[in-house]
Amino acid sequence: MGRSYFVDEAVGEYLSGLQAAPGSCVTGLLAGQSSPQRDFVVLAVQTPHRESEGQLKAPKGVSPLDDIDVEWVTEHAKQVSRMLPGGLCVLGLFLVTPPELSKDAQNGLKRLIFAVEKYIIKGRLWELSEEDVTDRVTLHICSKTKKLLCKTFDVKDPKSSAKPADWKYQTGISSSWPMLTCSVEVDLQIPVTGSSSDNTDKCMKDGLRRWAKQIEAAYCLINGRQALDDSELISGQKKNPKTTNRQTLPARIFVSDEQSELGERSSALVQVCSGSMRVRGVVHCRAYIHNNKPKARHAAQAIKRDIINTVCSRVEMFLEDLCINEGSQKGLCSGQQALPRRVFAPMPISGLSVCDYMFPDESTADVAERLKEMLDCETPEEDIDTSLENNQCVALAAAIALLATATSLLYFS
Amino acid sequence: MLQCDFIFRLKGILEFACQLDNPNGVQSQSTISKSFQDLRSKVTSKNIVFTVCNSPVLIWPNTGFQSSVESLTEASACGDILQWIESDDGGSKKSSKKKDKKKSGPTVVNMKLLFEVTEPAGNTAPSLIRVSTQQHCVKMPLPLDCALSVTTDERLETVCTGLVEALNKQLADMEEVVLQYRKGSSFLVPQPFHFQLPEPAGLITVVYPAGVPDSQLQAVREDLHRKFELPCDRPYLRRANAFHFPDAAYKDGYLRNPHIHLNPPNIEDAKLYLVQGVYSYHHYMQDHVDDNGWGCAYRSLQTICSWFQQQGYVETAVPTHTQIQQALVDVGDKEPRFVGSRQWIGSIEVQAVLNQLLGVTSKIMFVSQGSELATKGRELANHFQTEGTPVMIGGGVLAHTILGVVWSENTGQIRFLILDPHYTGGEDLQTITDKGWCGWKGPEFWDQNAYYNLCLPQRPKTI
Repeated sequence: MGRSYFVDEAVGEYLSGLQAAPGSCVTGLLAGQSSPQRDFVVLAVQTPHRESEGQLKAPKGVSPLDDIDVEWVTEHAKQVSRMLPGGLCVLGLFLVTPPELSKDAQNGLKRLIFAVEKYIIKGRLWELSEEDVTDRVTLHICSKTKKLLCKTFDVKDPKSSAKPADWKYQTGISSSWPMLTCSVEVDLQIPVTGSSSDNTDKCMKDGLRRWAKQIEAAYCLINGRQALDDSELISGQKKNPKTTNRQTLPARIFVSDEQSELGERSSALVQVCSGSMRVRGVVHCRAYIHNNKPKARHAAQAIKRDIINTVCSRVEMFLEDLCINEGSQKGLCSGQQALPRRVFAPMPISGLSVCDYMFPDESTADVAERLKEMLDCETPEEDIDTSLENNQCVALAAAIALLATATSLLYFS
Repeated sequence: MLQCDFIFRLKGILEFACQLDNPNGVQSQSTISKSFQDLRSKVTSKNIVFTVCNSPVLIWPNTGFQSSVESLTEASACGDILQWIESDDGGSKKSSKKKDKKKSGPTVVNMKLLFEVTEPAGNTAPSLIRVSTQQHCVKMPLPLDCALSVTTDERLETVCTGLVEALNKQLADMEEVVLQYRKGSSFLVPQPFHFQLPEPAGLITVVYPAGVPDSQLQAVREDLHRKFELPCDRPYLRRANAFHFPDAAYKDGYLRNPHIHLNPPNIEDAKLYLVQGVYSYHHYMQDHVDDNGWGCAYRSLQTICSWFQQQGYVETAVPTHTQIQQALVDVGDKEPRFVGSRQWIGSIEVQAVLNQLLGVTSKIMFVSQGSELATKGRELANHFQTEGTPVMIGGGVLAHTILGVVWSENTGQIRFLILDPHYTGGEDLQTITDKGWCGWKGPEFWDQNAYYNLCLPQRPKTI
């Protein structure tokens, strides 16, 4: 008995609309949500065209399969992961090949799926639990016959072999998936020991990891009810797949400062630091949960992971950017800088939303461009919602103005 | 005896953090105080939440009392909370096992301190603030633990407000302790201890610095004894005297005070004189030592040592058979080959070991015939009233522990509360009380013809 993938019809339309140059392959990602009983696919995106860095590379191997740029596919997967709200993730890959390459496609897919998984989980601050599904789907499409071959691999086991799986199309798969939301106040004080930039990164990672553990262990209320046991998320409601309203369920998170490693100390932990870093502000979080009798604690887990991911992603992006700009001088300069802020946009067709991160010097035009490149969809700029997190510069400017006014009042009084 | 019906206990960890430029400089004290001030603001903010353990109840105490359960409002009596709490065996607290045993004290409602991170005041996206000056970063978990004794009809809202006040006061006490015992960048964790003092003080909390032994905190205790008008000759505020919450299990597995589950005999005109405080029941076969047939006096001695340890007079652990034997060799009472043997000891040896290992002196009472014990009511009553320590009695071929007497001054009628060390089973309270391993006996219990020696340990006069 293999897994069952329930796929939005719109995804099917996207896949049949793909154009592959004769004799070549097309790779792409499949995204959605896994649950213990079944899986849902709500998005398919082909790997964007990579601008060549110089001369066209001569084909490496005998077959176009060998030409697949594994590094680029995994990078795309990571970028898309950052754009998916809680509950959604990259579930697998698709590969379109001409008929003559169909036989070797499976090996290619297997290589790719393990590479993608490995790259996506790097730097992630939470671990998969025992209940998480570790099967990932690979879909092979023959460019001539359009025949689909769907299999899964267990990415926990490098030696696993392909297992057959069902691929079923349905309309409006996610149209009534509830959306969990919350705004979370973050105020992390992270000491930095040592002075190299590697040290800074490691200290930041350690500090974020401690905070992530607090969030994972936190008490959670969803829509006013405790969310820790096997009770159903939405009970007492008739399940009607035809309803098109999407419920918004507010989540509330309560933490305690309990840290097991500091547990039984009789004295304080003192470190000599060369400085410190503070991450401070409010993040807006979202997660979706399928509506096939979801359990409250899975919903809690989805929103908590989104909270952790969003803070981690923007810090990562900021530090990557810093590396490019400050280069070898990256280390510790003092000052306050805005981290990229989160904006939301509607996902192609499914009605769910995706997100992106906007640096202070960017505009919605930049976001629209990224959405086009990474998710292969046109998004009108007015549909990009930038209101959920306020611009830090506004706050900073206001603070400076206030200070100036106060100073001048003092001067004149 | 406690007159309250409930104890609301709130526990939680708050992380204390501060950055010191120069741990030995004059600025450091105000930096530390500022960090404590921030923590006090945190507990009075709208973000703090109390969760009631084993229940779905959440209370926001600083927002004009809000709870997650509609029927619990600011007007609710605190007893109403019980219907929401699931006890460990799955049933609600109301269906507690009622047997012919005494009530085990007030009901404890455990709560945990949490902070909400959602519903923030502002909406500004995060920034990264980097500081690059050399600093000492200090982090320390503060183990907050507040307890309030209340009656059933007290309003829940009042209880919660009281707990917030208690948190504030505890943080202030902790700040004082941290500053007092700080040496440069070495900070000791301030730890709260609860003590049940005689009325009107009731349940109080004292913060002691971790790692500083009781012997070095004498002056602190003297101040507190004065403040609470406590007698100056017995300990009330050593760490070992800390209040044992009725719902907490003892980690070492020994039974405490099995006698409280018994009803004293109903003798006309008689008064009850009992051991004071807490002891552990030591008996044959415990600790993987097979002393069946020879170890009864050793076990009685262990019971007595456990009393001195739990009343705070000594910090040493209850001695093993070997340690007891070695002590007797050390004082010259026995030859070295005594250690490891299965030789019987008597009251005199018990007195010697108590002196050698615990620094405790004892009185010896000699009775030439078992039948005479019935006439020792006054002496035993006086002992339990003034010293209140368990009494070891040896004679015939047996040793026992006397935990109290019921004695009538007028009629001379007497009964003895006996703890029997000859029990070989497990720590099963039911068996021990039903079968009389801890039970009330009459004068016929003693061998009427044998002679007996009693060892009556005396309390050291110390706090």
